[in-house]
Amino acid sequence: MNYKRKIIGDNIGFSTVIDEKFNTCSLYVRFITELSAENSAVNSVISALPAMSNSRFKTIGELSDAAAELYGASITSFSNKRGDAQIIGLSASWICNRFALENEDITANMLEIIHDCIFSPNAENGEFDITSFKISQKNIIDAIESQLNDKRSYSVNQAYKLAFRGEPAGNTNLGTIEQAESVTPESGFRAYMNLLETAQIEIFYIAPEENNSVAEMFRRSFEKINRNSHEYTISSKSPLKAEPENITEEFDVNQSKMVLVLKSDSDDRFAVNLFSTILGGTPVSKLFANVREKMSLCYYCASSFYVEKNAVIIESGVDRANIDKAYNEIFHQIDEIRNGNISDEEIQSALLALDNVYSGIGDTPSQCFAWYFGRFCTNDIMTPQEYVQKFFEVTKDRIIQAAESFRLDSSYYMLNKESAE
Amino acid sequence: MKKEIITSRLTGDSCIHVKHSSGLDIYISEMTGFSNVHALFGTKYGSINTMFKTAEDTEYTTVPEGIAHFLEHKLFENEECGVFELYAETGAMGNAFTSFDKTCYLFSCSKNYTENLRILLDFVRKPYFTKENVEKEQGIIGQEIQMTNDNPEWRVFFNMLKSMYHNHPVKIDIAGTAESIAQIDADLLYKCYNTFYNLNNMVLSIAGNINADEVLAICDELLKPCEDNGLETFFPDEPDSIVQSEIREKQPIGTPIFHLGYKCRPLTDSKEKVKKFITASITASLLSCKSNEMYCRLMNDGIINNSFECEIFDGDGYMSLIFSGESSKPEEIRKAVVNEFARILRDGVCEKDFLRIKKSSYGDLIRQLNNVSAVAGLMINNALSGIGTFDIIDTFSEITSRDVYDFIKSDLTEDKLVLSVIEKAGE
Repeated sequence: MNYKRKIIGDNIGFSTVIDEKFNTCSLYVRFITELSAENSAVNSVISALPAMSNSRFKTIGELSDAAAELYGASITSFSNKRGDAQIIGLSASWICNRFALENEDITANMLEIIHDCIFSPNAENGEFDITSFKISQKNIIDAIESQLNDKRSYSVNQAYKLAFRGEPAGNTNLGTIEQAESVTPESGFRAYMNLLETAQIEIFYIAPEENNSVAEMFRRSFEKINRNSHEYTISSKSPLKAEPENITEEFDVNQSKMVLVLKSDSDDRFAVNLFSTILGGTPVSKLFANVREKMSLCYYCASSFYVEKNAVIIESGVDRANIDKAYNEIFHQIDEIRNGNISDEEIQSALLALDNVYSGIGDTPSQCFAWYFGRFCTNDIMTPQEYVQKFFEVTKDRIIQAAESFRLDSSYYMLNKESAE
Repeated sequence: MKKEIITSRLTGDSCIHVKHSSGLDIYISEMTGFSNVHALFGTKYGSINTMFKTAEDTEYTTVPEGIAHFLEHKLFENEECGVFELYAETGAMGNAFTSFDKTCYLFSCSKNYTENLRILLDFVRKPYFTKENVEKEQGIIGQEIQMTNDNPEWRVFFNMLKSMYHNHPVKIDIAGTAESIAQIDADLLYKCYNTFYNLNNMVLSIAGNINADEVLAICDELLKPCEDNGLETFFPDEPDSIVQSEIREKQPIGTPIFHLGYKCRPLTDSKEKVKKFITASITASLLSCKSNEMYCRLMNDGIINNSFECEIFDGDGYMSLIFSGESSKPEEIRKAVVNEFARILRDGVCEKDFLRIKKSSYGDLIRQLNNVSAVAGLMINNALSGIGTFDIIDTFSEITSRDVYDFIKSDLTEDKLVLSVIEKAGE
């Protein structure tokens, strides 16, 4: 991976990853803004619009056909939360010109389309086109309503709301139905222009060879915009609650869910990540080996490190009758690490698992983007190999200290109604 | 052993095929410049294979639903330790999955691929089933079944299959039920293992940063010749008709979801099967592409949203073209789909749309062949389905709009259409 980043405008980073093995060109444009209760819904509604139509291709069908004619090029929108920030944007991917069957310049055509999607949206008189706007608005309202369809992600989101209450990260990316309904083509367009002017912007071009025209197109286009950008916080430690809090909801489900959020003030993120990996990050972790395999209490019991908020999230799907047993065993295993009961094999297997994952980054454009954008968000730009090395420098004592620094902050329980009877 | 080079006529991509002396089919793709290795060791044995016999048996054996999936779980535990512990020593990510017609064991790694290949080829051939470890697994799989029963996407799909198929075991849940897995014991697991995990019924697929000669040397060392056991699987007769045209269930969800599927006639001849699969895929793209008139109307009227899609589901003795997504008015979608196919039969397939979809599909295939796990998946899926590695890619150019028209006319009739809906509980 040959990675380079340069500044092409006010708070606008342009990164390239060049690798000749790729047979596609990929472009990722990301607008970083604050995750706020007031604006998350409007930002989600407008995030989809640049990928639906533009001033030249005025309907979803026209834009979709134009991309399909370029050998199934993809143009998709993106909207998500990351720590305290909301990140929205557009991604595009197309096959390289050398695969064109009729010598078309696929790249040049795609750059024109992408330019128009971002800088010449389908809007007139300060309003987004009503047809595209209504479709996007409905998609977001449906997405808000359908959150309960996926019980596992719903449970994690409920836990986040409680754990990060009062912080930007406690807001949802989609907002509420009422907020999404209140967005108009006019207010949406204002919000879009505001993003172009104020958001932090990171652009990634990932391809087999350099193409200076891509950065140049963005530089020239952003020059015409009156940029007045802000620095937005993405990562911040979440304060521990004085007493742990919990939320319980009952549904007609077969399997109950338990999500525990633990917080720490440790600055030793590599030790914390290793602690989480040993605890529940692999199929030989303490939680997998004991809660699932030995005690047969659940199908999944895993932990992950939410680096942007310095929190460890533990998720489990269990029978309601076994929740207390699983909870006690989870904390017993955390105590085991605190007490230094970690074998060399456990540390080694966690290191090897991390090494395996990070050493393989670079095989797909999306991995390259995710890696370097992730490093940008946590402000630690380095190669995967340099990152892995940091883990190998972590000592057992640092892992124990990391484990000792975590306290339970919040719990979410989705309970099976029938089992209560 | 002879290395056969298989090359795509369309893209020029190639891979190596070896019919190993052990009976195993081996597919290898050396991918220059990539760091990862993805390997799958699979058997043609899935949830639909509930009745079978070998040359030694006089009668067919019928086994409990979900046993192929149960067996997959149990192979992850050998006599000395769990398989995850073996991979923990190399850092590889190991996993397995059971589908309707196959079970695959896989690893993905960026280092130590030869050690990982040894682990993979070794543990899959060393079953260890005891009364105790079978009972323990019943608890874990019981939780997995509970979890999938709470998954509305899973429920809406299986409800559709139950309404579509009278007898074919594709309608049974891959993991079985709490009752069916309670009937599984160590003896039954050994019976299934010895029947289906014969190397003549298996495929190894490996792609990425590898050396073909190294792979073959490990296979030579570890795999001994295996006698073909004359395996025969049995499927009950399945009529063309459906069981019922509509099924609804209530669940605690936020947005209703639907599956709308046509029961199509499956084919057995491999060349015809490939042609029909591509034809059906192009048909699916015609109706779900964003410029399709029906799609635009349903989208503009708020009847579908961006979750709407159409795909082909096919295997040994079953085939279906399925529309799916979120909607509070799925019956409107059924009406629109039926009318749209009637319109195509009246007006013909739009040649411009047809050619654009073919061009778009070509781009998708180029992308697929630039991805290590996708290449490994392509090689094993096609081999276990009895078709050549690049047959789908290379047959694309042969399909005409007339084929699409004929497929719609012969297979997509209203009497074969099933609507499955998961509604919001309390409404």
